[in-house]
Amino acid sequence: MNNMSPEVALHRISPELRPLLCSVVRNGRVGLDSTNCLRVTDLKTGCTSLTPGPCCDRFKLHIPYAGETLKWDIIFNARYPELPPDFIFGEDAEFLPEPSELPHLVQWDAGNPECLLQLVKELIQQYHHYQCQRLRESSRLLFEYDSLLEDPNYGRNMEIYAGRKNSWTGEFSARFLLKLPVDFSNIPVYLLKDTALDPGEDVALLSVSFEDAEATQVFPKLYLSPYALGGSSALHIPAFPSGGCLIDYVPQVCQLLTNKVQYVIQGYHKRREYIAAFLSHFGMGVVEYDAEGFTKLTLLLMWKDFCFLVHVDLPLYFPRDQPTLTFQSVYHFTNSGQLYSQVQKSYPYSPRWDGNEMAKRAKAYFKSFIPQFQEGAFANGKL
Amino acid sequence: MAEPTVRMSGIVLASLMFQHLNSDSDVEGLILGESKFEEQVTISDSQADHIHIEEVYNIQKHIACHKLNSFYNSVGEVDVEAVQKILADNKQESVIGWYRQRRNTDQQMTFREKIVHENLKSSLSNPHMIFVLLTPSKLTSPGSTHRMEYAAFISRSRQFMNVPVLVSNLGLLEQLAYWKVSAPCSAVGYNLTMKKHGSKFFSSNGLLREVNEVNKMNDSLQSELQKACRDVEESERLVETLQADVSALRRRVREKQQSRAGKEPVEDPPEQKNLLLHEAVRALFACSPLFTSQTLTLQAFPVPDVCCDSEQQDQDVSLSDTTAKDQEPVSPLNPGRTNCRKRLRELSVGRERKRRKSKS
Repeated sequence: MNNMSPEVALHRISPELRPLLCSVVRNGRVGLDSTNCLRVTDLKTGCTSLTPGPCCDRFKLHIPYAGETLKWDIIFNARYPELPPDFIFGEDAEFLPEPSELPHLVQWDAGNPECLLQLVKELIQQYHHYQCQRLRESSRLLFEYDSLLEDPNYGRNMEIYAGRKNSWTGEFSARFLLKLPVDFSNIPVYLLKDTALDPGEDVALLSVSFEDAEATQVFPKLYLSPYALGGSSALHIPAFPSGGCLIDYVPQVCQLLTNKVQYVIQGYHKRREYIAAFLSHFGMGVVEYDAEGFTKLTLLLMWKDFCFLVHVDLPLYFPRDQPTLTFQSVYHFTNSGQLYSQVQKSYPYSPRWDGNEMAKRAKAYFKSFIPQFQEGAFANGKL
Repeated sequence: MAEPTVRMSGIVLASLMFQHLNSDSDVEGLILGESKFEEQVTISDSQADHIHIEEVYNIQKHIACHKLNSFYNSVGEVDVEAVQKILADNKQESVIGWYRQRRNTDQQMTFREKIVHENLKSSLSNPHMIFVLLTPSKLTSPGSTHRMEYAAFISRSRQFMNVPVLVSNLGLLEQLAYWKVSAPCSAVGYNLTMKKHGSKFFSSNGLLREVNEVNKMNDSLQSELQKACRDVEESERLVETLQADVSALRRRVREKQQSRAGKEPVEDPPEQKNLLLHEAVRALFACSPLFTSQTLTLQAFPVPDVCCDSEQQDQDVSLSDTTAKDQEPVSPLNPGRTNCRKRLRELSVGRERKRRKSKS
């Protein structure tokens, strides 16, 4: 399989078919996992090798679906570009959709650049129905599906992949991919380093794999888009309870995620409040601060002619987690040539204080700690 | 269980490939030929009879469509009129399927091909149709070697299965089997020739003339055999009757003899000698040491032969005359001369002769 960029694919495709492929590779986001566009590989031609290029008219389309990647062959004819495409559905040889339920195939319009993309979406819908039908092989999994379907929060945003784990033993397995109805819109927008990259919509996908038809081996996994809550590693979901079912488990995960989002949102506001309070209390003493994420603050303070810096680092789950204070001398260096500093992670603190109170208490702590720091700087640092 | 096979002559396959090689796109068309369904009964040691049905599709001809999608639309609905137009003078009944050739694709039926195939079956009212797929592709990147794969598919209950394609002129297809059917041919010239000369070889029932003659000869032979069997049976019955009569007569003779002789003990009739056998043995083996007796010394050495004198001869003769049974004819090889030491042992019918080891 040769990976190729969309530009390369568009360059090699027959000119008459280019508009159709363009909308697929540039705007083709289908299914629940719409973070990436559809991918095209194995571009080939139905013309003889003597035909001058570009004349490619058949390719493989990679479609993310329920945690799998479907690889469908799409076959055009460069000599007859007005004709509708044909499809080979990879390993799903038994998948045979009803043509009358594909409006964009019934009324194929080669002049409409969106026609192919719309047809692919209709086929995926038919594929979803086909996979749901296959769940009938297991009454247990069918129950899971039906119970989720009844809930409008999950039923409309669900993809199912049912397949035989072992064609020899006939052991049945299935995967449910659900888009969790969590609102990420209030999560603060961060500036991206690469402005050309569109992170897409923030999305939380829960994948639950049933390795056997009796649901004795169930493996859930949460997928978070990169910029939502810091990615998948930031959140640990509970294990699927033995004997449990999805209609109970999914709302539980959803609530956990919602709480986390709320916490992150609140954390942002709390951090902003904290920084604002420090700005108010320390005024000209503020050297710099993070004006976007409100995660850092640096103060230049003086006590009895002893000047020192205080770096405040606010963690992601502030105010639950305590900010870290790093005291730094402006005079003394360590043996490695760095400014002498001391880190303080435990000091009088309560997450229930408001920003103003935290600033006051921090100020009081500075006053009490500085003599000790000064001594240390003189003792351990060198000018 | 039906075992389908598709047979195609090398000429038809080459023609299909040639058509595609000269086209700058995918090509498709209709396949003409005939399909046969034969019931085969196999008898083996493990099973008394095993019946299986052989489906044979013989591809004889193909008709190319001038352009793609000419007899069906985007959703695979078949236009029967378009099919008729493509067939032109050919009969619809001779359509046994359709084909498609597409470059650089997998050897699998596509979505539309499956739909078209099912619709074609119902449109032409033929539940047994085949789809032949040819997929040429480049084997090497510079294009120095190309590969042309071909396969046939049939559908059963909307399940498509791959069927083996046998090309007739590529080697011997069945080396150990007899040809049960002749290779069909739809050429007009062939049919005219068969009509003209067929009556010389075939009788009205379609069998070769010689077959009928052989069958008739076999019947005659059977009747002659039966006649001979009847004659043998009759003669055997006659012999049996005669033997019974002879036994009865003998019994009567014995009874008469008994009554005449009074209470004399009835002796068993003298044993009949097989004089002819005796004569033959003497003639052949008179001088063979295996059939002569030897006199041994006490040390177990044979006593050498001694020339017989008349006295000894007389003695031997007198000895031989002691019993009436021991009358033996003089050997024609040695008339009147017998060895005083060695003499032919008398061979009596029904008695086993013991052989003695000879030192020679």
